[in-house]
Amino acid sequence: MGSRERVQVVLAGADEHDLTKLAEFRKAGGYKMLAKARKLEPQAIVEELLTSGLRGRGGAGFPMGRKASFLAKDTGKPVYLVVNADESEPGDFKDREIMFRVPHRLLEGCLITAHAIDSKHVFIYLRGEYSHEFEVLRAALDEVRDAGLLGGVTIVIHRGAGAYICGEETALLESLEGKRGQPRSKPPFPAVQGLYASPTLINNVETVATVPAIVEHGGDWYAALGVENSAGTRVFSLSGNVVNGGNYELELGTSLYELIYRIGGGIPDGRKLKAVIPGGSSVPVLTAGEIQYPLDFDSMAEAGTMLGSGAVIVIDDRCCMVQLGLRVAQFYQHESCGKCTPCREGTRWMVQILRAIEDGRADHRDLDLLLDVCDRILGKCLCPLGDAAAMPVASYVTKFADEYRQHVEEGGCPFGGQSSLEGVFAPVDQHAEVPVEVPA
Amino acid sequence: MSVELVTVVIDDREVQVAKGTGIVETALSAGIEIPVFCYEPRLGPAVGACRMCLCEVEGMPKLQAVCTMTAQDGMVVRTAQTSAKAAEGQDATLEFILVNHPLDCPVCDKGGECPLQDLTFRWGPGNTRMEFEKRTVEKPIPVSPAIALDRERCILCYRCTRFSESVAEDGQLVAVNRGASSVIATFEDQPYRAPFSGNVIELCPVGALTSTQYRFLGRPWEIQNVPTVCGLCPVGCNTHATMREGKVRRMLSRNHPEVDEGWLCDKGRFAFTHLYARDRITDPLRRVRQRGFEELSWDDALDEAERLLRDAQGRIVTALSGSETVEQAYALGKLLRRGLGAHTAVLPEETSSALDAFRLPLSAIRDAELVAVLGDEPVAERAPIVDLWLRAARRAGARIEHTGDAAESCRRLADGRDALGKRLRESERAILIWSAEEGSGGSHLAALASKLGFGGKPGSGAFHLPATPNGRGIADAWAACCDDEADSPEEIGLLVVSGDEAAADPNVRALAERAERVIVTSMFQGLAVGWADLVLPGTSYLERDGTYVNLEGRLQRLRRAAIPPAPDELAWISKLAERFEVEVPPYAAAVFAELSELIYDGLPFGEVGERAELRTRSEAPGGELPGEFAPAAANGELRLVRYRPLFSGPAVERVPELQFQRPSPEVELAPQDAEARGIRNGEAVTVGHAEAAFELRARINASLRTGIARIANEHAGDLGGFVEVTKP
Amino acid sequence: MMEGFAERVQELAMQYPDPRSAIMPALHLAQVENGGWLSPESFEEVGAALGLTPAYCQAIASFYDMYHLAPTGKHLVEVCTNISCALVGAQRVLEAFQQELGVRPGETTEDGEVTLRTMECAGGCGWAPVVVVDHRYREPTTPEDVPAVLRELRGG
Repeated sequence: MGSRERVQVVLAGADEHDLTKLAEFRKAGGYKMLAKARKLEPQAIVEELLTSGLRGRGGAGFPMGRKASFLAKDTGKPVYLVVNADESEPGDFKDREIMFRVPHRLLEGCLITAHAIDSKHVFIYLRGEYSHEFEVLRAALDEVRDAGLLGGVTIVIHRGAGAYICGEETALLESLEGKRGQPRSKPPFPAVQGLYASPTLINNVETVATVPAIVEHGGDWYAALGVENSAGTRVFSLSGNVVNGGNYELELGTSLYELIYRIGGGIPDGRKLKAVIPGGSSVPVLTAGEIQYPLDFDSMAEAGTMLGSGAVIVIDDRCCMVQLGLRVAQFYQHESCGKCTPCREGTRWMVQILRAIEDGRADHRDLDLLLDVCDRILGKCLCPLGDAAAMPVASYVTKFADEYRQHVEEGGCPFGGQSSLEGVFAPVDQHAEVPVEVPA
Repeated sequence: MSVELVTVVIDDREVQVAKGTGIVETALSAGIEIPVFCYEPRLGPAVGACRMCLCEVEGMPKLQAVCTMTAQDGMVVRTAQTSAKAAEGQDATLEFILVNHPLDCPVCDKGGECPLQDLTFRWGPGNTRMEFEKRTVEKPIPVSPAIALDRERCILCYRCTRFSESVAEDGQLVAVNRGASSVIATFEDQPYRAPFSGNVIELCPVGALTSTQYRFLGRPWEIQNVPTVCGLCPVGCNTHATMREGKVRRMLSRNHPEVDEGWLCDKGRFAFTHLYARDRITDPLRRVRQRGFEELSWDDALDEAERLLRDAQGRIVTALSGSETVEQAYALGKLLRRGLGAHTAVLPEETSSALDAFRLPLSAIRDAELVAVLGDEPVAERAPIVDLWLRAARRAGARIEHTGDAAESCRRLADGRDALGKRLRESERAILIWSAEEGSGGSHLAALASKLGFGGKPGSGAFHLPATPNGRGIADAWAACCDDEADSPEEIGLLVVSGDEAAADPNVRALAERAERVIVTSMFQGLAVGWADLVLPGTSYLERDGTYVNLEGRLQRLRRAAIPPAPDELAWISKLAERFEVEVPPYAAAVFAELSELIYDGLPFGEVGERAELRTRSEAPGGELPGEFAPAAANGELRLVRYRPLFSGPAVERVPELQFQRPSPEVELAPQDAEARGIRNGEAVTVGHAEAAFELRARINASLRTGIARIANEHAGDLGGFVEVTKP
Repeated sequence: MMEGFAERVQELAMQYPDPRSAIMPALHLAQVENGGWLSPESFEEVGAALGLTPAYCQAIASFYDMYHLAPTGKHLVEVCTNISCALVGAQRVLEAFQQELGVRPGETTEDGEVTLRTMECAGGCGWAPVVVVDHRYREPTTPEDVPAVLRELRGG
């Protein structure tokens, strides 16, 4: 353990009590902050959020208080609060744990935030696969309703149906409106024209679940946690080739090394660390030599990657980085919504090139082509999904250039079938790539 | 309202445009083209999907899809012309679009008029870096008998699906699947059956959606587009007739922003092939024996016509179709009225000039805040494009009120106590639409508009949806021929039937029963054989020069696209007129010049214009409210609303691609009426009364009011009045 | 479709300012009622209940992975093969299921009992490999667990 005391904000108390029960949660001080908040002027809560420096925990890291203050005023339309619980980034499973262990903290956060932005309508867009979490949340919501805590606010849990893209805020809103979950062109931003073209605040589960603590202890207290520009704690999702995978709530600024080795127990089976994906599958990779970097927004940027959604995936030396690139590209091809050209066509092309490299059908020009395709996707798409495919793959090709070259030069995978990702079957292979087969 | 001008710099050129102008249009005003595929302002807010328009915008780190942006003061934009970054972005998009595109331009109907081909040719790479298998799928898929879909060529710009969802609102053409597997589709490959489906062909920026009628028939360098006006309904959509080797090959819209906004209905788009129907009459025909015919020369035909006209001794009645040009009607009227004193003509319905006091362009419907639709006939069946304007109005926030029976609600709204009437009176932008038979040519509506004070409100107006394309123009022209008036003859010595719609009209057939002799002008043998003594070949609106007056009161110009297979009506009327010492020029321009002096203030033919303007409102409102309304239905009976379907009539019957669009044998019921009778959607029901009843399928239509049963004419038999609808 | 389906859909629609928003829960309900997949008739029913065209309903359903457009088995076994699971042996788990069931991913056993699918990141990365059996997460599931998982499934 590091020298500092572990501070828990979002998951606090969950180890000691069954906080899924309203009674237990109340014993631990739950919903007191809602009562306190409701006595405050909405603007006062927004001020605390601004002071706290709380940045969105979904991936983009936009300060919540600022988002709330952008909400269009006096439009004559209702204001909506939408909670993004469509956690789907590979490596990420923190929101799920928050929902099944401290559902009431999320609901309390919803109600406080609704008060802060003068909203009577809350929608929680819950990832469709999370059926257990749906039941836990629904039970908690029933308890809240029965306890008369809603205060005229309606909370609707809307279940998704399996589409990563709906984690993108405007795609989520489209989906919630009953349309295909394809992102909207911004502006207008949701704060001005969000759900049903009304002012909408949309925030991630973890972000909203942090709000009660900020009301309790004040924005200054929260801002003192973590490091500059990265206030507070984060629930890091640790997975991959690590002894103790799981979610760990840590102050921002904790180093990757500490997370992987001190908390995560290091690499199993005596293997060597090869690479780390520090913020979910969509961010550039770090090599084993780059784990001294602290996990905070600025340090990760300095390291050439991103903190993203705080999902740390540990990769040991058995992993072929071409196979990793292929698998990541397959994921994004599968999840591309099909609306904009570079993402729809580019991700598919990336998969084809990576497959050729892995199968030994590629030459050096294909490595350049792959980087060029990544480059041609980057910064040109309607939403961040295209970049999410191009950035990591380009980083694998660049940082593990020798391994990619080896595939080309040796006419196949140097791991000889021993890679940990060997032959992994992706859903994109499961569906016919084309809906109609050409008759023979 | 003054327009705020802003200054935008595009590629170092400074332009001033109205604030909020799209960047694509702003660039165009500076003479700079920004390439687009998905951008189409008529489909609603820009979506920024194709990424073809990527440009640099000062102050923004990333390339922007500028089609989604509007002009703001001080904006600095760099297109591919001056920004390497923008050029790289557009190259990237183009490469991605082509990665799975078949590049089969030589066999693609779009070739030569394809934005993708043009951009590829101008900016695209000379070769491809894509060495893997392209996506291949079965093709072409028949989206309907009229539309073919090539999914390999599709670049998923979503123009077609946005049209279906957000303009026509038919919800039938959609994108299914996700990502690279996304395709355009209809439900379970059922045909895209909706009145405006063909617009997706024109919207498609590549060769993915093509017309089955035009397949492999023409290349842009061997066709000519003739600007004309559709003559199939009273809207008069502005069109281009695409000609190759003297034949009409397709119809395109020719966007008149006040009339049609660039949309056509499928009848207007696809029905033109009736020109080449197998039973097209190309020579005069004379009856021999009971049902036989023989061809005769034009000289003989004119002799015969002259003989028939003289023999009738003035006891002549003329049945007009309502689709004649103004000039044809004037010429015929001059011959018959001045030459023979035959003043009596019948049109399918009354016409009136009363609505001239409340003229507005159709586009004013979109800007209205309140629209009242009087009558139970579907607007789309009477004047299709008006339906799109109504939908646009509702999307823009207007209230659309359907008031029920036209005559009854007309009286009700005129009553000072009616709530809706009050709202209409108070609104600055209110519109009345009469969508039913027997509107007295708009006279009833004019009386109502007058009562509601529309005369003093330039934003409020009224539209009567007539049954014929040019009834108003014809009536005015006929009236202008001569000042004499005469009573209808007791006995009809000769019935002159002008045109196919008249020839197909049961009322005209009934007149023919009473007539001693009949002359018919018709395009089709099927309509004329068996009852006419002399048949003269008719022409289509695509074969005529002249003018039409549409339901707005707008005088529009028809241009001859195709040469008719026989002399046109003006030619033989002119010849025939000589024999009665009446001077009728054989050319539309000359006929119009004469007529224009009488009724169009001397407007020169050449100034009718390619995008005709709406004449100003007349000053004297007239009109008359309808008489007392018929009593309500007897117990359990529903009032029958018959309507003439859009997809019906002599032209449509001759177009194979439109047969699937014809109405099903069904009766539409309101949900409450269906429920009260225990009738479920799609069930067979018996419709009729004690004397006559037959079986139809029930279709429950939630937008139908209670108390009526609506049936297309062709499935309604002889029913009228009130009917019982029961489970058999 | 069961009696009262339209009423239940309309009840769902009450939760939203725009009834169109209820299409996802309505499709979900229709899928449950129809034995695990959505048929053309399902789209007609959902469309009729919400005032949407069947084409629109199909457009929505085909966008999301959890709506099945072809018949599925009585049970659904989904193996996550995204990177965190793959790094710790998901492929071997998948292969174990393939062997035990005799089907490939995307297929259903001949007796119509089990459909095997791979899925993208299930969100259990730290407890990998993740297998989702009839929408319940089993974390972790090793190749050795597979026979027992299937026994339980077929027995239950």
